[in-house]
Amino acid sequence: MRRFPHTWCPGCGIGSVLKNVAMVLRELGWNYQNTVAVSGIGCSGRMSGYMNLDALHTPHGRALIAAETIKTVRPDLNVIALSGDGDLASIGGNHLLHTSRRNPNIAVFCNDNEIYGLTGGQAGPTTPKGTKTLTSPGGEPYLPLRIGRILTQQAPYFYARTTVYHLNHFKDCIREALLWKGFSFVDIISDCIELNGRRLGFKTAHQMFKWFDERFHIVEGVRDHLEEDELGIAKAEGEELPKPKEEVEVKAEVPTEALRPFSLEELKNFDGTEGRPIYIAYKGKVYDLSTSPLYQGEKRMRCHIAGKDLTKDIEIAPHGEDLVFKFPVVGRLV
Amino acid sequence: MKQLISGNEAIFKGAIRAGASYFAGYPISPTSEILQQAALYAEENPEFRFLQAEDEIAAAIATVSASLAGAKAFVATSGPGFTLMQEALGWGHVVEAPCVFVNSMRVGPSTGMPTQPAQSDLLQIKGGSAGDYYPIAFYPNSAEECFRLTVTAFNAAEESFSPVILLSDAFLSHLYEMVDLESIEMEALTRTKKPLGTGQRLFTGTAHDKIGNVKTSDPGIYREWLGELKERHLRVAEKYPLFEYVPHEKAETLLIAFGITSRIISPLKENFSLFRPIRIYPILERELKEVTQPYPHVIVIEGSDGQYASSVEWAIGRKVERVPCLGGGFKLQWIQHQIEEQLKRRKT
Repeated sequence: MRRFPHTWCPGCGIGSVLKNVAMVLRELGWNYQNTVAVSGIGCSGRMSGYMNLDALHTPHGRALIAAETIKTVRPDLNVIALSGDGDLASIGGNHLLHTSRRNPNIAVFCNDNEIYGLTGGQAGPTTPKGTKTLTSPGGEPYLPLRIGRILTQQAPYFYARTTVYHLNHFKDCIREALLWKGFSFVDIISDCIELNGRRLGFKTAHQMFKWFDERFHIVEGVRDHLEEDELGIAKAEGEELPKPKEEVEVKAEVPTEALRPFSLEELKNFDGTEGRPIYIAYKGKVYDLSTSPLYQGEKRMRCHIAGKDLTKDIEIAPHGEDLVFKFPVVGRLV
Repeated sequence: MKQLISGNEAIFKGAIRAGASYFAGYPISPTSEILQQAALYAEENPEFRFLQAEDEIAAAIATVSASLAGAKAFVATSGPGFTLMQEALGWGHVVEAPCVFVNSMRVGPSTGMPTQPAQSDLLQIKGGSAGDYYPIAFYPNSAEECFRLTVTAFNAAEESFSPVILLSDAFLSHLYEMVDLESIEMEALTRTKKPLGTGQRLFTGTAHDKIGNVKTSDPGIYREWLGELKERHLRVAEKYPLFEYVPHEKAETLLIAFGITSRIISPLKENFSLFRPIRIYPILERELKEVTQPYPHVIVIEGSDGQYASSVEWAIGRKVERVPCLGGGFKLQWIQHQIEEQLKRRKT
């Protein structure tokens, strides 16, 4: 390929991501006539350019919306997005939420190295709390964004977590993601030895791989979510959540005659002053509005005066009479 | 058959006439009608794709991407939305994606005065994105011209391989006029570039050489690339030297106004010569020089604090008077009064 040699440092995990994705693409027969690669900005954003495909290198964070659009305009093409955690989850976080919601049939491969590598090693959205980076010299103060937890909250979803060290598992995840009908996201835990690993105390990339092996273990079978130390695939087919049933409370009607009679003069006393309750009359019945959140100081229910017959007022009000029916009946107007 | 349509509707219908098959947008006054029309049209025509995006950033990126995927695409917004679209506008120039950005201007900065008309996004459309680029922008002043210039904008985009900007304002977007669309004959150019999925090309916003190799430290390659971009844009713009000139025999003063302002001051043709640029950018340098040459007084009347006037001064090499119609106030009487004041001041 004429664009090689690539720009990545020796020991970087991105080469492994690129190679394995490319190998699975070839196994599946996906080539430049039926596949387009999209990426964002950063070291990992350079991945699409090294593929033997038409590739799109978008502005920072916009890989997903570009990939989705290509799939929309050309449903016959396979579209893959290759990018990093900073690009997809930080600056492109809004697109991650909404593209996954719209569920286009694209596969996303996220090189998750927990650092902004290209710019020199600043803290990223997935940098673990306490990690020292160029922009968190005293240790990253915030908890990292758990992409897996966000993406597995709303079905349908496909979220796989794997590492560049667990190669067979990694390739299985890539294949499953490419074949998934819908939005699939593969979170590939990767290493940045030069701009993160050495600061963490690792001498070689291999030591970082062994660290991945210590931190994570593979779980088999279909899951609906993954714990933070698990590598595997969490997926769910589309399912609509059952609509919450509206519970209608049926109150027993009290016969009007049995209610306490109020005259207009009596009603005037119940205007909310001096701790008295707020009563109003509507169509011959007296209601107790003391619990209304619209009670704004003495005598006043926003637009209506307490202690009066409001039948006419409510008829011309922009709201319906149902607002009044919510409150308990305490008497009848005589 | 004549029908009553608004500027917004005319823009949408013009896009369809030009062969548009993709629209992305985000609700914003005063172009929400275009978004709604696109949604309705997509419902009836499944080959027309529509996206109500999560924000203007996404809408603009989607438009550029759709163009690269092979669709004629457009997006419509207003000033605050256009601010968010700058990123995609710059990107569209570098990856050579023909598409149309519609910006119906309202009073800014920021949320400004929704929705009072303004013409204050000129500098934003010309240079709001990072780096050097040479956008082509047209600005109609009637519903019929909205239709025509939308088709023109799509054609200019296909020729320049770049986003082209169609300007409007809150007034024009909601201006209803009788137009006979069927009688308008306009040819739409076809796409010459191959869509995605046919080769091994790299479409990148990074500086690159001709075969797509990223080159981020070679001034020579960059200069060559930018030179080509500039040459191409100026060449395409040259094909559309659009303006309207209404000379008055005895007038010593030339009034320059465009968009809705030109409609408002049209009664002044009784006393003044009028000039209306339709292609706003690249600025009509030669035409402005020729037209303004015989006039001792040139007054630019516009809905901004001299954004176009400063470009005119640059183009013709002398000072011009300005009447800025700010805050959505475009009253003819007020403008007339301002012109008289300006001329009085000049004479004393």
